[in-house]
Parts: sequence; structure tokens; C-alpha cells
Amino acid sequence: MGVPARVTSALAGVVGRGSVRVAPAELETYASDGLPTHHSRPGAVVLPGTREELVRVVQLLAYHRVPFVARGAGTGLSGGALADADAVLISLTRLTRILEVDPANRLAVVEPGVVNTRLTAATEPHGLHYAPDPSSQTVCTIGGNVAENAGGPHCLKYGVTTNHILELEVVLPDGSVTTLGSKHGEPWGPDLVGLFVGSEGMFGIATRITVRLTPLPKAVRTLLADFETLRIAGEAVSAIIGHGFVPAALEMIDRNCIRAVEASIYAAGYPTDAGAVLLVELDGAAEAVVVAEGAEVERLLRACGARTVQVASDASERERLWQGRKKAFGALGRVNRDLFVQDTVVPRSALPHVLEQVDRIALAHGIHIANVFHAGDGNLHPNIAFDSRDPDQLERVERASAEILEVCVAAGGTITGEHGVGADKLRYMPLIFDGDTLGAMRAVHLVFDPDEIANPGKVLPIHACRDWRRAAAGGAPAPMAAAGGGA
Amino acid sequence: MTQAALAAGLEPCVHCGFCLQACPTYLVTGDEADSPRGRIALIRGLAGGRLEARDPQVQTHLDRCLGCRACEPVCPSGVSYAPALEASRRRLADERTIPLSVRAVHAVMADRSLGRVVFPLARAVRPLARRFAGPSRLGLAFGMLAATRPRRCPAPKERGAWTPEPQPAEAPTPRRVVVFAGCVQDGLFGHVHRATARVLVANGYEVMEAPDQGCCGALHAHAGQHDDAVRLARQNVRALAALAGDALIAVDAAGCGAMLKEYDRLLAGDPLETDARRVAARTRDVSELLAARGPRRGAPLGLRVAYDPPCHLLHAQGVAREPRQLLAAIDGLDQVTHVGAELCCGSAGSYSLAQPGLSGEVLGYKVEAIRRVRPDVVATGNPGCAMQIGAGLLAAGESIPVVHPVELLDWSYRRAGYYDE
Repeated sequence: MGVPARVTSALAGVVGRGSVRVAPAELETYASDGLPTHHSRPGAVVLPGTREELVRVVQLLAYHRVPFVARGAGTGLSGGALADADAVLISLTRLTRILEVDPANRLAVVEPGVVNTRLTAATEPHGLHYAPDPSSQTVCTIGGNVAENAGGPHCLKYGVTTNHILELEVVLPDGSVTTLGSKHGEPWGPDLVGLFVGSEGMFGIATRITVRLTPLPKAVRTLLADFETLRIAGEAVSAIIGHGFVPAALEMIDRNCIRAVEASIYAAGYPTDAGAVLLVELDGAAEAVVVAEGAEVERLLRACGARTVQVASDASERERLWQGRKKAFGALGRVNRDLFVQDTVVPRSALPHVLEQVDRIALAHGIHIANVFHAGDGNLHPNIAFDSRDPDQLERVERASAEILEVCVAAGGTITGEHGVGADKLRYMPLIFDGDTLGAMRAVHLVFDPDEIANPGKVLPIHACRDWRRAAAGGAPAPMAAAGGGA
Repeated sequence: MTQAALAAGLEPCVHCGFCLQACPTYLVTGDEADSPRGRIALIRGLAGGRLEARDPQVQTHLDRCLGCRACEPVCPSGVSYAPALEASRRRLADERTIPLSVRAVHAVMADRSLGRVVFPLARAVRPLARRFAGPSRLGLAFGMLAATRPRRCPAPKERGAWTPEPQPAEAPTPRRVVVFAGCVQDGLFGHVHRATARVLVANGYEVMEAPDQGCCGALHAHAGQHDDAVRLARQNVRALAALAGDALIAVDAAGCGAMLKEYDRLLAGDPLETDARRVAARTRDVSELLAARGPRRGAPLGLRVAYDPPCHLLHAQGVAREPRQLLAAIDGLDQVTHVGAELCCGSAGSYSLAQPGLSGEVLGYKVEAIRRVRPDVVATGNPGCAMQIGAGLLAAGESIPVVHPVELLDWSYRRAGYYDE
């Protein structure tokens, strides 16, 4: 157990003593990411300050066969950046340089620790932006976005992270450095960028990321429609897509969530008596086209049963309508002691049915669930409130959470849309993949990481073997003890 | 105070991390332990018994918090961070001694008889201070002293059409105010107090005296010297609560204003609690009082001004618009915006003494950002910020004056002839 002292002092030789953390207090601050229900102090934390240091850190850890976990801003919601006591956490937050912005070729080259909105801020003067916009975009990093294949409201039209990554320079778990993809056009051979993006830190660490930049839309129209019930709102979603519209974003927020948002500093003026609201954003190259499309969508929303439809008249009003959506998770935190965000995907047409089932499950287990999600993608985010001090409640949340996933899978969906499998969803992998498929995934994983030192114990449910080894050695069997979320 | 009470106010934190990019120390170090979320983990660790107050790493990272509170307005969960930070610093203060330099400065602030010796001495040395200003620790100290000297308006007199705005004959709600004296602001920035009084009168306020006030105790509270803070708060509450009727308390030092507005929390359970609540409710930043009256327009000043909002005005008091309204009352004033204006300058009370390294790095960003917009003058409404930014600019070889926004308005009013009436 633990990271040997000779390894941490060798790390200090690479990055300097001040950039290696081994004190319990400092490790405590890295014991959770955005998933507050899990708590695990890493064995050590290392903060490389340059790409060269990062590569040498991985080489050193590979040499000593010490497991490592890469971490960006630690906003992930599946516990993907948690590290056990025998692993080194590599924090990439000091690698924040934007190396190149190339407006002519519409691309930018960044280090993994660059914050999503800082990249967009740097490219806006050229009329460009980085399109994927996870709700944590003001703090999360491009490296983390690559690891998780992050989505976001505007990914409905523009595609998720993988559609915006052109080239990756990566350090593989054995310490070798290689380049995947190409800055200009499709490279020869299989889509290795596609394979790497979303590999949740198990295939290595991206050291330089070349992203595609997208022109800023010239015209934007944002509508807010409110509905009596969740079901009617769900049907409206299918109607919009069914009629051939491709909104830039199509988000749903249910009553419980509306009330939390409206009680927070990010109050957006959502009607608190609605069963659900839909936030629809249309964008395009010409004002007239977008306005005409907006009018058509408004008619359609009303025909589907919208009680009212508001249209944002200017940028600040649009900002306000979005603010409520983007800060919803935190706003829910304000009214609930602990919060667990589920992340699943179902076929759009199944939304009304699945939402009703989620409601039923909440009722059956006596728990509070608020929904705020990317309706256009069928990507659900039930937010489950609980009090981690109450073991009975924890148990019920756990059961409800599992039932929600079962309902989604039965409706033809899957267990994660954008938050990843991480540590949290390991146990649900067998719900959607059979043994052969999991075996094939493991075979691919071993090509990249034959020694299994890159983010071990995540995504593929083979953790049991590690636990067994540890138990045999006299250690604690449970690697991720649920913590008391607060004092 | 019980162990668990340390974390009071932190319950809503769901670890989302939305505070990270608002934190000046995290932006410098990139280290979770130097972020608001990391410090919350430390405080929760203390409260839950997982960490010890005598642990040097716990102390280091809690000490490295500027206390700028930029994390509070960006928190979607509404975490109340500052009280937990203060409580934990109070807990740490039981375990160790506060550095001598910090204690010495706090003693001068708290003890009026000491202040009566030290401040006049400092004012006597002040004209020479600029000569010794520089980037070293001592050089920065001299730079800070140099930054406190009264400045003359650098703008040349403008000709051209301009009509003075008459003082409202019958102010809509004539209101009496007391200018809060404080310690450093009174000892080294007396000229700001005088400017504050003049512009308030020019806007129809009646300024009255309130003897027996002293230091607000903010720095003591932030450093964990709880008993000193309470003693100073009680002294001020006694001096100010006696004011008759509806008199307001005008504050021209943002750090003091934030503290006064929280006297109700500091003196909760104290026999003076009711009076403390009255004082807190009647405290206003001077910009709030002026904005409520327009303010009256002054003569043009052809200056480029970079406004740097003090953290304890912007984040702690939530006063963002009013200082800009004040500046907008001056014709010809070109307001330029520097990158990261909303970030702390690294002054943070006695932080620059206790954490010179990190304070200097945070200041470095600020000075660089200000230089890039080439202002004629920097405006900020807090003595610590004026000294820190002033020293940083001097160390960088820049002679840009740093003044309080009311000084700009005062210059403009003087030109307008409002004071010769």
C-alpha cells in the first residue's frame, strides 16, 4: 500500500519538491472530484509545470510500475479522477498554455489544463469558438473534456468533444510519446483519435490537443416554453426534431429544478408553477432565417401545448435564461445536503415514458428527484437529493439510481451520456455489455496499457481482482469508501 | 466553539468546482489545496476530526487564502465561505503564534495610543519613501507608504462648454451621515476622508462627527484574533449606535465597510447585539450614498482611469455598479477596463506581510494588466489595495497614481467651483 518514498523523491527530482504532495492534509483536498459521494485520498499528487515534466513523470511511474490517475479541474461526475492510496494523481492544472490559434485553418493547439471558456475567449476575437460547452465550462479543462468525451447543451447541433478534436499528442502509459490523428484532414488508418477521446484516462494522457474551432453563429434565437407536465414537454421535444429542426440546443428543466434555480442567485425567471420548461436555441448565419425558424418553432411549441413561449430579446436576456440551466447543479446543492447526478441516454421518443418511470421510482423510494437535461439528445440527468449521514436514505438512493438505469436500458438506452463510467458506474457495465464485449474492450485497453497502470479500476469491471489481491495482502477490500460528504 | 461548528455554512457545497477560476491563489498555483474547494475540504477535515489544527500543511493552505471572497458570488450553491474561514483561523490561532510582523501591525491598528505615535511618524517619512521604493520586500514597504501620499489632479484644465449642475436646493431626503474613521484610513489617508466629506456635502448630505471610534477589527477577525476583533467592534458599536435618528455611516474603506456590515454576525450573542445590528444596517459605502443622489455632475477631467474594485466591496458587499456611477458623473473621464479587474491585488489586509511570495505573484498579474491599458490614474476604494497596487506600480517603474474614486470626484467638484459657493 502507498506510493514508495523512493518514487515520490524521484518525482520531486523531476518537478521540484514544491510540486509533489504527500502530506495528508494536501491529499485530502484531492480526495474527491465533482462526485462528492466518493472519497479516496491518493498516495501522492504531482503537479508538472511543463509538457516535458509531464512526460518524464509518466516515464518514471511506468518504470516503477506505479499506477497513476490524470486529473484536470476535478469537475467530473463519475469519480473518474479518484485515485487509490497506491496511485499517484497527476494534476494537469498547471499546463494552461494556449500554444497556437490558427484562424485560417480554424484550429487551436492547447495544453490539457486549458479551461474550456478561456479557449473560447481567446478565439472569439477571430469570430471563432470552441463549440462543446459542458455546464462546467467556466472551470473544466480541455484535457478532461477529451478524457470524458464531454458533451454540453450545444452539442446537439455541433457534436460532442470527439467531433472537435483533430490531433492529439499523447504520452502512453509506458512513457512513450505519440501523435494520433492529424491537424489537416483525415489521417491514414483507423480513427485513433476517436478511440482515445472518451477513454477516461485509461489509454494515456493527452499532452497537446489540437481542436477544431467553429465560427460564432451570426444570429441566435432563444426561446423558453413552459408546459403543464413533463410528459407534454417530452412530446414537444420529439415534435421539434421530428419536424426537421436542428436546434443548437434543446434543454428541459423540470419543476423541482426550476424551483431550486429560482431560489438561487441565478434565478432566470422560469415560471415556478410549470411542470417543465424547454429551452430552445436556434442559430444560423442570417438573422432573417433564424427569426423565421424561431416563429415556426414557437408555433409548433404552442401546438404541442406550451402555456407560454418567451423569446429572449437581447444577449443579456439570453444569458439569463441560460444561466439558470448552466448553474442548476449548484443551485440544487443549495437546497439539498447531498446530491447525486445520474446520467443516462434514451431514444428521444422514449422520453415521456422514461420520465414518468423516473417519477414513479422517486415516489416509490420516497426520494426527491429533479430533472435538468439535454432533451434533444435524449440525455437525462436526474438529480437525486439525499443526506449522506442517513444510511437508510443512501441505500434507497442507490436502489432508485439502479432502477432508473434499468428503465433506461430497457427503453433502448444506455448507462451514461457524457459523464463517463468512471468509478461510479462500473457495476452497471454488465447491464449493457455481455462478457464477450467487455472482454474485447479489455483487449483494446491492454494494447494501450499492458501493465494496467493508467487510471486502474475504472470503466471496466475487473476491479474485483485488484480487491482480491489487496485483501489477500491484508489491506482493506473496498478501495473507494463512501465518505460523509461533509462534516 | 464546537469542532463541528467550524464548518457551519459549508453544508451546501457539492464540490462542483465552479469557484476554482475565481480564486486568485488557485490561478497562480493550480493547486487544489490553494482553491476554495480545497480549503473547504481542509475545514471539513478539521471539523470532522480527519485533520488536525496543528498540522502545518492545514495551516499553510488556510493561511494562503486571501480572504477575498471572490468564490462566494460565483457559487451556485450559496456556500457561505468567509465565516467558516474565520472560524478555522480562530481555531488555528489556538495552536500557534501569529507572525510578529502581523501582530505588530495589528497592534498599531487596534491601539489608538500607539497609532498616535506611529502614523504621524509615517507621515513625516512619507515624502522620502518614494526614493526607496522597489521590488524588494523593504522596497515594497516603502512603496506602500509612498502610495498613501495625497495626490494632485494630473489632468490639465479643459476648456469648452460645460455648465455646472446646481446643488439640489431641497435634497429629496436630507440625511445625516458620519464618516467612519478607521485606523490606517484615518492615519495615512486623511485626505480621502476630507474628500469624502466634501463630496457628500456637495450632494446634499449633512456630515456630522462621532467621537470615540477606532479600528474596525477586520484584519484581526480575518487572522483569527477573534477577541481583539470583538473588542474593537464593541468600541465602534458603542460610538456609532448612539447616533440619533436615521444617521447613516459612510465608509470610504471597503474592508472596514464589509466588517461593519457584518458586526451583527461578529457580535451575535453579545449584550451589544441589538446595537450591532443597527450599526450593520446603517452602514453604506460612500459610493452607495453618492449613487443614491445621482451623483451631482462635476467638471470634466480628461483622464484615462482604470477602476480596480476592492474585493471587500465587490465580493463581500456586492457593491459593483455604484463606484462606476460615481465615476460616470465626471465628464471626459475615460474608463478603461483591465483584464482581471475583479481579481484580488494580493493586499488582503496583512496578507502581503504574512505571505509575501504569493502576494507578490498575485500583484504581478494586476500590475501587468494595468500597465497594458495605460491609464493616467488607477481608482480603488480601499487603503490596502491603494498601497499594494501603488507599491506594485512603483516597483515596476510606473508613476501612475492610485487614488480613491471620491478623490476624482472631489477634483472634478473643485474644478466645477462647487466648494467656493
